[in-house]
Amino acid sequence: MIQRQTPESIGRVVATELKPATPHQFHFWTANETTIGIGAIVKVEGPGAGDQGSGRVVFGVVTDGFAYSDLATPLHDVVGAEGDPAKAAERPTVRQEIRLWTAAVLRQEPEEPLQPVPLGAVYLASDADVAQALRMDAYLTGAQPTGIPVGLYTAAGHEAPVYLDADFLLGPEAAHLNISGVSGLATKTSAVEFLLASIFQHFPAHKGRIAALCFNVKGPDLCFLDRPGALDDADRRRYERLGITPQPFERVRYYAPCKADGVNLNTLRTHPDLVGDVEPLVWGLEEVLDFAEVLLNRDDIDAKADAFIDFLSDRVLNKEFDDGFGGSHRVQTFADLDGLFRAIFDGLELTGRSDMWRTHHIATIRKVRNRLSNISTRCKGLVTDDGPSNDLPWGRFEDRTVYVVDVANVDALGQDLVFARAVSKLREHLERRDLGVEAVVVFVDELNKYAPGDGPETYVRKMLLDISERGRYLGLVLFAAEQFRSQVHRRVVGNAGTTLFGRMDADELATPGYQVLSPATKIKLATLPIGELMVRHPHFTQPIFLRFPRPAVLRGRDGVERFPPATDLPFEDAVVRQLVRLDRRIRPNQVKDLIAERRPDDVRRALAAVRRTRPEDALAYFRRILGARVAPVTAPAREAVPPLNPISEEPY
Amino acid sequence: MARGWVDAIVAAGAVPVSYVPEASIGRQADAAEATVAELVEDAELRTHRVDAAAPAPAAVSFLDGIQQWRVVGQSGVVPLVRAYVAAAVRRRGGDRRLRTVAERSLEFAITHVEALAAPVRRALEDSGVTVVNLAATDLGQPSRTLRAAHVQVDRAREQLERQLGERCVTDLRDGEWLIVDGLLSESELLARHPRTLGVIKSHGAQFFSGADLERALTVPAGHRTSVFAPQSHAHQPIYSWYLRLWPWEGNDLLYGLLRIEARAHRETVAAAAGASGWLVRERAPVSTPDERWDRLLYAIHDVETYLRARAPRDFLSPTASRLPRAAS
Repeated sequence: MIQRQTPESIGRVVATELKPATPHQFHFWTANETTIGIGAIVKVEGPGAGDQGSGRVVFGVVTDGFAYSDLATPLHDVVGAEGDPAKAAERPTVRQEIRLWTAAVLRQEPEEPLQPVPLGAVYLASDADVAQALRMDAYLTGAQPTGIPVGLYTAAGHEAPVYLDADFLLGPEAAHLNISGVSGLATKTSAVEFLLASIFQHFPAHKGRIAALCFNVKGPDLCFLDRPGALDDADRRRYERLGITPQPFERVRYYAPCKADGVNLNTLRTHPDLVGDVEPLVWGLEEVLDFAEVLLNRDDIDAKADAFIDFLSDRVLNKEFDDGFGGSHRVQTFADLDGLFRAIFDGLELTGRSDMWRTHHIATIRKVRNRLSNISTRCKGLVTDDGPSNDLPWGRFEDRTVYVVDVANVDALGQDLVFARAVSKLREHLERRDLGVEAVVVFVDELNKYAPGDGPETYVRKMLLDISERGRYLGLVLFAAEQFRSQVHRRVVGNAGTTLFGRMDADELATPGYQVLSPATKIKLATLPIGELMVRHPHFTQPIFLRFPRPAVLRGRDGVERFPPATDLPFEDAVVRQLVRLDRRIRPNQVKDLIAERRPDDVRRALAAVRRTRPEDALAYFRRILGARVAPVTAPAREAVPPLNPISEEPY
Repeated sequence: MARGWVDAIVAAGAVPVSYVPEASIGRQADAAEATVAELVEDAELRTHRVDAAAPAPAAVSFLDGIQQWRVVGQSGVVPLVRAYVAAAVRRRGGDRRLRTVAERSLEFAITHVEALAAPVRRALEDSGVTVVNLAATDLGQPSRTLRAAHVQVDRAREQLERQLGERCVTDLRDGEWLIVDGLLSESELLARHPRTLGVIKSHGAQFFSGADLERALTVPAGHRTSVFAPQSHAHQPIYSWYLRLWPWEGNDLLYGLLRIEARAHRETVAAAAGASGWLVRERAPVSTPDERWDRLLYAIHDVETYLRARAPRDFLSPTASRLPRAAS
């Protein structure tokens, strides 16, 4: 893990009245040809320090650099070159130059009394120095180490592994991770994929089991986490240095809503070799009603409508319910609910009673009915009118398993519903300690969209705020990514104990949130190469630049090239494919014969029942649920009835 | 050691003082000295355009020295002077950067030992510091004594420079040159070496008069005078010529004017144009903010900067305010 090396002196601390050394900052010079740069970690040894000494040792990170010569004014350079820049290059002697660096103090040993940095020799930090400088020694050693490799600190040809503290990344001391950076260059998704792999391999055993729930919100980003990606030798070396086995995730469960036809999956992971792993995500009335607020405009949810929705949830759903007009209902689906609504409207009309039904005004009932019926239309494929649901395995989450919910092609309303319900269910189960794992990492990309700093209050934003502020006590950890950190809700990013920054946009860096960074650090952030990040972590008193290897999984865009998505199958073939996946013995023709001339809704309902029940003999069960075929009955031809009075020829 | 003997003599009864003579910062200007010169190039003193395209040597070493001194104690009217002299040779190679190849420094005390109070004298002798003893005739008014001390400091510095230059010149490799800041003619070894040049910035010595003097002191920028041989019994024989680095018009006659000393040999005459060519190029980069930048070669300035950076820090600025102390 940590390699110990003898450091080499690279510079000397200098202090003047104008640039003094302080307890938090110091300046040092190096040779002009030096390999250190912004972000390098250095060690200063004061008098008496060293292996035997008890002097002060200070660790710092380079935050700024200056170069200047003994030139009094630029004009003198012009004079010396007689105004000809070409002559300036021909000067027989190179001017004396200096490479002066500013470093921010990471740690002082001893920590008390806190004193200005001694004017001593400067060394490049070794592995052990990096661990000490970043206070990693506190959690990498001891009976129960909690280090999670996050990347390699790289400076001057030297690499040292850097670890995050699991107690501060995944709770309970602090939690959550936020990653910012411009699209395409900040490698946010790759960083999260790598870090999840690292967590799965290094999550301390004493902290229990952990899983991840990842929302795939764009393209094929997270669709191939179980497939190996291309790594080069440098990546493999970095993995080795970090003590991580470069391999794709062993257990990945994919969930995707269906398309509007109810049988084809709405995901880019539809290649025949892969689609078998994808579970349809289908929710019915019960799953949706608790989150109706997500789907309805805020204007719709007045107190009356809210009360009526609560009434439906508490008193009607999944219960034998008497409508007051002699009808009995057991509402389980949107279709059942619509039946209840029709019975209420008919009952009120026929009995001529007032416009009130059980204290609810008919206008409120009509409004709620309209909005709810609209949900199954807008979220068709995710929300089923009358079929059983197929949900994430609440209560049966497995250790070191990634659950990917692909909502990339679902409209915004559906995405909101998926986020809200999935996270709420996670929270419920984690509170009850019956999820199956002790901690869950929830990865949400595009935080600028889901938790913006301004704009209307949405259910999803409230939910993300809730995770940010209270999740760490439950083991519910938010890993979130966005382009513009400054435009995300302050409490969401503020509660992230660990923050990663990839390549940043210059305009973003000009916002007040980045004022604590030196101009040089900002420039480095604005030009950060792919695969490098700046990390802030509670144990690190200053931001640290890191390099991480490419994730060992197939990148989304490579995945769709290697496993091109299949075109949508005809209804019959899609049903066959789903049944065959459940029971390999089933022959396609058997299914096609069974569903020939059946109503698609009946087929979908039967298919959903098979998916939910997972019977031994899937075909038999499917046949039973589908029911016996009823032969169409031809209506008897009606005989013509002659008119009672023949039409007179009299025109009047 | 540096402060040790000062503390010792103060403890022994010398009155601590803090006086930095102005001359400690630099050298005194050469006293005006009239001498004669014999032309060894041309029948009369002429000016020649330097060979601007002459190739510079692949490697050149530069020699310079510094001196610093201050009065640190008084035993009666007898001053105790603390002096520091240093010299260094910095070599410039193919990368055009200067690196130190030789360096020496010396710290010593100057006083008239016999005139010191007995405890002070004992303390000084016990401290182990090198003492340069002034003659009894140098004692008297402070100005007289300090002038004598200044001469001793000058002498020590010149000796150090000469020793270092002679050591360096024997180590010069083929094609490598040594540029000395000051007179070449004070060392026989240096004065006879074919690839050594002395660069003189102060022009107290007058070699010409009349039209020749005018021609010498108004030589245009990028030009040199004819080579001449100063006639002096006090110095080694050398050849010399004036060389103008920057136009003097608008400034003064001596602005940008150097006098070059080289080996007294006919090859020197032939080489003067070429050597002057690359010496003129040495005017860049300019050695500002030094006030003598118009004739101070940057490389020499660099040696001086190097030496000052390594000199003891407590010579130039008074260690305490010179305001009268408040009554205690």
